[in-house]
Formats: sequence, C-alpha cells, structure tokens
Amino acid sequence: MQDRYRWNRRQVLRSTCSAIGAALAVPAFVPSRVLGLDGAAAPSERTTLGFIGVGMMGRGHVGLLLQYPQTQILGVCDVDRWRREDSKKTVEQAYAEQKDRGSYKGCDAYNDLRDLLARQDIDAVVIATGDRWHGLATVMAAKAGKDVYCEKPMSLTIHEGLSMVEHVRRYGRVMQTGLQQRSTPEFQRACDLVRKGRIGKVHSVFVTFPGTCYDVNLPPEPTPESLDWDLWLGPAPWRPFNHAFHHLGQPKFVVPWHISPDFGGGNLTSNAVHAFDVVQWGLGMDESGPVEITPPETGEVPVLTYRYANGTQLQVTPKLDPKYHTIPKGWDPNTSFQVFGALFVGDAGWIHVGREGYLKAFPDEVLEQPADKDQPSRPVTNHHLDWLSAIRSREKPCCDVAIGCQSTIVAQLGCIAHWTRRKLQWDPQKNEFVGDPEANLMRRRTMREPWTM
Amino acid sequence: MHKTSIKLALALSLLVGLVARAGESPDKAFEALKTYDWGSDRAALQPIEAAVTAAHGDAAARKALEARLAEALKTEAPQAAKDFVCRQLSLIGTAECVPALAPLLLDEKLAHMGRYALERIPDEAAVQALRDALPKAEGLRKVGVIQSLGVRRDAASVAALIPLLSDANAQIAGAAAGSLGAIGNAEAAKALGEFLTKAPDALKLAAADANLACAERLLADGKKTEALAIYKTLSKPELPKHVQVAAQRGMLAAMRQK
Repeated sequence: MQDRYRWNRRQVLRSTCSAIGAALAVPAFVPSRVLGLDGAAAPSERTTLGFIGVGMMGRGHVGLLLQYPQTQILGVCDVDRWRREDSKKTVEQAYAEQKDRGSYKGCDAYNDLRDLLARQDIDAVVIATGDRWHGLATVMAAKAGKDVYCEKPMSLTIHEGLSMVEHVRRYGRVMQTGLQQRSTPEFQRACDLVRKGRIGKVHSVFVTFPGTCYDVNLPPEPTPESLDWDLWLGPAPWRPFNHAFHHLGQPKFVVPWHISPDFGGGNLTSNAVHAFDVVQWGLGMDESGPVEITPPETGEVPVLTYRYANGTQLQVTPKLDPKYHTIPKGWDPNTSFQVFGALFVGDAGWIHVGREGYLKAFPDEVLEQPADKDQPSRPVTNHHLDWLSAIRSREKPCCDVAIGCQSTIVAQLGCIAHWTRRKLQWDPQKNEFVGDPEANLMRRRTMREPWTM
Repeated sequence: MHKTSIKLALALSLLVGLVARAGESPDKAFEALKTYDWGSDRAALQPIEAAVTAAHGDAAARKALEARLAEALKTEAPQAAKDFVCRQLSLIGTAECVPALAPLLLDEKLAHMGRYALERIPDEAAVQALRDALPKAEGLRKVGVIQSLGVRRDAASVAALIPLLSDANAQIAGAAAGSLGAIGNAEAAKALGEFLTKAPDALKLAAADANLACAERLLADGKKTEALAIYKTLSKPELPKHVQVAAQRGMLAAMRQK
C-alpha cells in the first residue's frame, strides 16, 4: 500500500514537473527546491519520515535528520503531549526557515504510534522510545511496510530481537540499529586492525559500564493529564505512574526507565551495549556471540565475564585490577576503559578505542601502518546517511538488524546471568541456553494485552 | 514521594539485588507478601526471589516454594503482591500451581500476569487453562488468552480460534489471525486464506501477516506445496507492495527448499 502510494506520488510529481518544464509556463511559481535544482532533493526523491518517541534521544534524531535535504519529516509521535507538540513545532519552524516562509504546516503530532504507522505517505520511521517499545514498534512498522531506524538497545528481550530480524527480513525492510560506533572512523580502524591480527591472537577484551537493574517498587503518583501512561507502558506489565520512570515534558536525561527490568536492563543494555557491538565487530562475531557467561559472584574474577568459543574472554569492568588481571605490557593499570569503547588485548599488543577519536595501541607500531592499508571495506562516517542511502539502494546498512540483534543479545545474556546468579552456557547459533530451561524462559516475556508481535 | 526517598528506594533495590541473600528464610517475606502493595519495600520480598534462584536444580525446594506462592494467589493480597508471585511462578511453576493461576485469566487487573506465568509453564495443564478461559474471557482478557494460545502454538485450539476471525471486536479477530498464523497448520491455513479475502480494511495487513507467518511455519514443517499456495495468493497485485515482496521472498525460500 505504502510503496504503491509512493510510486504513484512520484509518478505524479515527475509527470507534473515534466509538464511544467515542457510548457515553460510558470517558472516563477516553482521553487528550484521543488525541482531539486538548488542542490536539494526533489520531493519525489525524498524519504518521508515519522518519529516514534521524541524524548532525549528522539529529539536529537529529529534535529539531525532535519538537516538533510533528502528527508521530509511528516509526523512525530509521543505519549507525552508536550514532547510531541514541541517536536512538531521544531520541525515546522525548521522547514519554514529552510523554505524562507513565515510558517510551515506539514508535520502532524500523534499520541498513538498506530496512527502514525497508518500514514501511507511515510516511508520510514525512527524509533526512539524506551526499550520496552523497540521490538514491538519495529515489528509493527515492518508490517506496515516502513523502513526503520531503531535506537539501542535494539530490544528488551532476546526473543523480541529475533522477532525483529524475522519481520524485517520477511518484508524486505531496511533497518539500521542505533549503534553508531559502526559509522565512526576510529572504531572502524580499531576493529579492522584487530581483525587483521595486528595485535596477534586476541585473548581478552575489556569494556566498562557493569551492572544490570533489579525490580523496583516505586510508590504510585497521580498520572499527569498530559501523559498517556497506559500507552507509555505498552507491552510492559502494568504498574502505577511514578515520575522516576518518565520526566514529564522536557527530558532531563537519557533512559530514566532503565532502573526496572520491565523497561530496560540497566547499564549493560543502555550503555555497555555500544561497547559489546564494538567487541563483536572487532572479533568478527557479528553472526555469533559468546558461549559462556559468568556473573561476578561465581567467577574467578568478580566481574561479569563472557567466553567466546575460541577462548577469547570479555570482561565488564571499569579498569584492570592487578589483583585479578595480568597487566599487559605498556598498559597503565590506573587507566579507565573508554566509555562505549573497548580494550582488545592480543598476544602481540593491545588496542584501546573510544569515542571522539580516541585510539591508542601498544606497541606504537600497531597504529603506524599507512592508513590506506587499514581502510575498512565499507567506510561509513554518518549513521543516518548510511541508513538513508540503504533505503534508496535496498542494501543492508552498516548496523543491520541482525548485527544489532546479536550485539544486544550479548548485553541481555549478561543481565540474565546477573539475575540467575549462575554460570550459563549459550548456543549462539540456536540462540538458546544449553541445559538450563529456566534461563531459556527468560529469553521471552509475555506482552500485556492487546500487544503482541 | 520526595526525590531523596526515591533515590533511597532505588539504591536499596540495587543493593538487595547485588547482595545474595540465598539461605535467608523466606518466612518473613511471605508474611510481608500479604500486604505488599505498590510502593511497599521491595527488599522485604527479596528472600523469596533469592530462594527461587537458589532452588535451581533442587526439585524439592522448588515444589515447596511453588506451593507457598500458589497459596498466596488465593488470598486477598494486593495486586502488587500477586504480580510478584506470578513472576516467580513463571520461573518455577508446574501443573501444581495452574489451578491458582487459571482464575487470574479472567481478572481485569491480573490477567496479564496470569498469562505471564502460564505461557512459560511447560506443562500441558497450563495450555488447558488457557483453552478453558477462551470462551469465558471477554474484551482484552480474551485478546490476551488468544495471543497466549498462539505463543504456545496450540493446534488443539484452532477450531475454537477460527470463529473468532469473524468477531466484531477487531482486536479479537486480529489476535485470532495472529495466533492461527503462529500455529500454522493446514486447518489454520485454510481459515486464514478465507480471512484474507473478507477481512475488514483495518485488518487487511494483520490478515496478510498471519498468512505469511502461517506459510513460513508450513515451510519449516516441510509442507512446501501448501506454503507456496499461500505465497502465490499473497503475490496478487491488489495486495500492498511490501506484502507482495514478502510473498515473493517466501516463494524463493520455498523453491530453494529441497
């Protein structure tokens, strides 16, 4: 329906523009932007967007995607009235300025994502809700024929992630996961160097942001009139409103909800997931994952520890502790691991990578190779543009849904190990725990009616 | 509640999560459960949670805990308490606790948590409880029961689900389609094929998706001919483009299958 509509719209626009051009009848009334002659994309070449969730992260995406001439934001959706109205205003003001008009009306605000997804003129959606909605909103979008950009963590549960892959593939949709290190040069270079064996065989990887969350029982507060709390909860179990879960109106900081397992997985899924994605990438494990997960209380080292099938260990800890770790040559044990980054340690050196260009290695020669030798096979420098380009080409973006799913599973496995307090064996091909039916139950949660995937 | 006390509650919850309290008697916690309500001290229930975790691999301990938890469902304990109980039973529940969980399926406030537990309990008794609730449940509760039967892929419910495709409540009809697609046997396929032609506009995409899911299931079960027939139907130009794309992808997958 949507694609058919898009085809018709484009056909109509093209034929209309051709007719106008041929007749040379009204050049003064057709802005060059409409024809795509001022460097801007013609309407027929634009990807029309809707936003589901315009809190802290969603507003950031709106701001970034407003800049691109090849996109047009047609709708924003949030269960918080202030947020959706404010984002609508942001979009309309920006387009009014871009079009040199006093005002612009063309971005609709929605409370219910079903209404936004029913818009046949929206090609793709950006999902930046809380984790509890990521899987469901993505599946609903795929069923409606939309392409998707979904914030991290890609899903709340392992089952939801796998279902997202299934539905995105079923409908041939393009989905980019918001693990944007994939579009950052220092991470691309670091992971390429690791995969090319520049530090030898990797035996250990370290990332920071340890810890998951445990159930909380906050006291009921009156539900604000401007918030649709039932829809905020969506598929999650019902509980009364408390402002700790949702900061009404202007967001104060990211992911306030991740204090409850019903809504998130604490540090592991909110923050460490970025680093896990880097680890999976660097180790060449995009289609796989660890095979053993040991929670802090049962391991030889009191930190969450993963083991890959080739023996490589991954530990979640702020820094190396000489009491438990062998300090690699050239490493200062007082060094904290880079936020969202990783320390790869091999038998011939180490590479430490982080955001904002942070890239160090030992020995120094590891980084002294000519840069062109280390160029990644597919250099991507802008996560949004990569997604928009993939929508046009129908190829997979750099952090395709299947990659995002596996990286997110690493975080979710850590949460389950924390919650069960025991060492777990994982089969990354079957996506199931080995010999632990109870842990397997935790891969999936029943959604609150009427929601289902 | 003041921000400071919320921070304190959060810090406490983190602390009780981090500090292993296995071995501590859950007796006091079961006592606290009787009056546990929204906003009550979560740490008071931690010994039960720790006991459930510690009972892994200990059938006798699990059985004893299950019995105590099931008993709590029969009391007048608040919704928050029963919510907690269902979460624990979802991990250690067996047929023994199904009679205590089954009535929740018809309870407006607890239906979801009843399903949360029953969907995970591997015993056939859990599915039977869902089947039994199907004709009795109404509105959203019925939608939920239908969805759970789909999650359990209960072929024995197909005959009961088919008439629900014609239900005036679109949520019920849509849920029935989804569950029939998930079950994905020949009988479900036939009903879904008919539903595709007569579904109201609001359910057209749900009908298509259920048919696609059904075809995938049939294909996975080695029923290539039946799956191909569904894909062929879904390739018709009057259907949305992305559904046609999905059907063509399915057809290719089917043809690749030996």
